[in-house]
Amino acid sequence: MLKIVNEHPQYILAKVEIAEANLNYSDQFKTELVSLLKDKGRIVLLNMEQVTYVDSSFLGALVAGLKHALGAGNDLALSGLQKDVHDLLKLIRLDKVFKIYANEQAAIAALDQ
Amino acid sequence: MSIGISKNILLVDDNPLFLKILSQALTTAGFSCHTAKSGCEALDSLKAFKPDVILSDYEMPGMNGLEFRLQVLQIDSLKEIPFLFLTAHEDEGIMYTGLNLQAIDYVLKTTPFDVIVAKLTNLLHTVSKQREITEREIRKTVAALNIKTVPAAMPQLNGFDVDFWHRSYQNIPGGDFIDFIDTNNYLFVVIGDLMGKKWKAWFYTFTYLSYIRAAIRFSVITGNSSLANTLQQINAVVCQDEGLADILSSLSLVRIEKTTSRVIYSGAGDLPLLHYRPDVQELKQVKSTGMLLGVLPDGFYTEQEITMAPSDELYIFTDGLIDISSGGQQKTDYRYFANQMSGYFQLGQSFNDIKYSLQQQAAGFTDDSSIICIKKNSKHA
Repeated sequence: MLKIVNEHPQYILAKVEIAEANLNYSDQFKTELVSLLKDKGRIVLLNMEQVTYVDSSFLGALVAGLKHALGAGNDLALSGLQKDVHDLLKLIRLDKVFKIYANEQAAIAALDQ
Repeated sequence: MSIGISKNILLVDDNPLFLKILSQALTTAGFSCHTAKSGCEALDSLKAFKPDVILSDYEMPGMNGLEFRLQVLQIDSLKEIPFLFLTAHEDEGIMYTGLNLQAIDYVLKTTPFDVIVAKLTNLLHTVSKQREITEREIRKTVAALNIKTVPAAMPQLNGFDVDFWHRSYQNIPGGDFIDFIDTNNYLFVVIGDLMGKKWKAWFYTFTYLSYIRAAIRFSVITGNSSLANTLQQINAVVCQDEGLADILSSLSLVRIEKTTSRVIYSGAGDLPLLHYRPDVQELKQVKSTGMLLGVLPDGFYTEQEITMAPSDELYIFTDGLIDISSGGQQKTDYRYFANQMSGYFQLGQSFNDIKYSLQQQAAGFTDDSSIICIKKNSKHA
């Protein structure tokens, strides 16, 4: 459910290939995300444009990934959030812990600086 | 078979004709079929789809059925899905190897389709029954340990009516939790949502609740009057507890002072509260600044006083209530829920009416759902 799109020396671009990101996927997603962070040892940028819904278990998996990344001196950033998903992150203040970019291009531009 | 048993099946076979005919027979019997022409294709579709049962051919070019089974067993979220092999002929050697890979059964391709359908139907029925029994056991264990994640009774408080409604998703305890902590001078209202409902959720919920109760009691004993400080202490303990690594929770904490009737609020990654003022018919959001418990060592917690006039109502709720299903799609929509609440108030409905409406909708909820209403009495100055 996590597809690597581009491997850059400083970061990895990966696409989340699920529409309804719920409890059924959160465990597997967390495993994939954490192993990606471990294997690559770089900033991971997730393209979330396919995701129309996230439930709390999936948010938990994203935060677990972020904690893992920060603990290893890296980061986990999000891009292409659909409005509902972005609104939910803002509602519960997770927009303050994740770097969020409008789209992949904007994220790359910021990461390349 | 009882209504409501999920019947999603993944069929894997390199023979397109067999795949088509079996898929038609199963669809007619009420199954929802996904098909794959190879093990690789099947693994690919399993990335985005979790079936209730997998039926896979044994002899396939490239990755054969056993290799496919081995791959599935490597994936934690998929390895428990019942798996059956299809074979063209009886071969004891293959059967033995396959059964060692926790395949439930073999189905010969020469078996009449109605028998295959009956086999799969019975299998899913058994799995569903087993799940029911396990859930019942968990509920019994939790009851025996006297672990309550919602209170049995409403608190009594001079000047306020406090009431709540809670619905546990699939009736498994854990997830949302509610507590009322009554001390000499204060009533503390606690509501939170442990993120992600898992089998062990009730255990983590109980650990969280223990920390929350202890921190609140300590704050009272030590005369620490800052709610934000109490939240920060809870967060610090949670962040340091290795047993709670990656277990996050939202928390809304409201303290009502008995002598002054002051209402103080602090929140951790919770949804904005709704404050309804009937005198001006206004519904206002009350936002907190704090981060979910367990995310960062410093959670940026602050507190605020909510000025409540007589007859004002304050609603605190968890995210299960803002999930809606629209056109078969799941959505999260806080504004929709706020508008719904606004509609109830315009009709002059009480919290009892709202609880009744929620009860009517509850079958469609896909997560734990909880809401607390704090109403200031009309006669109270």
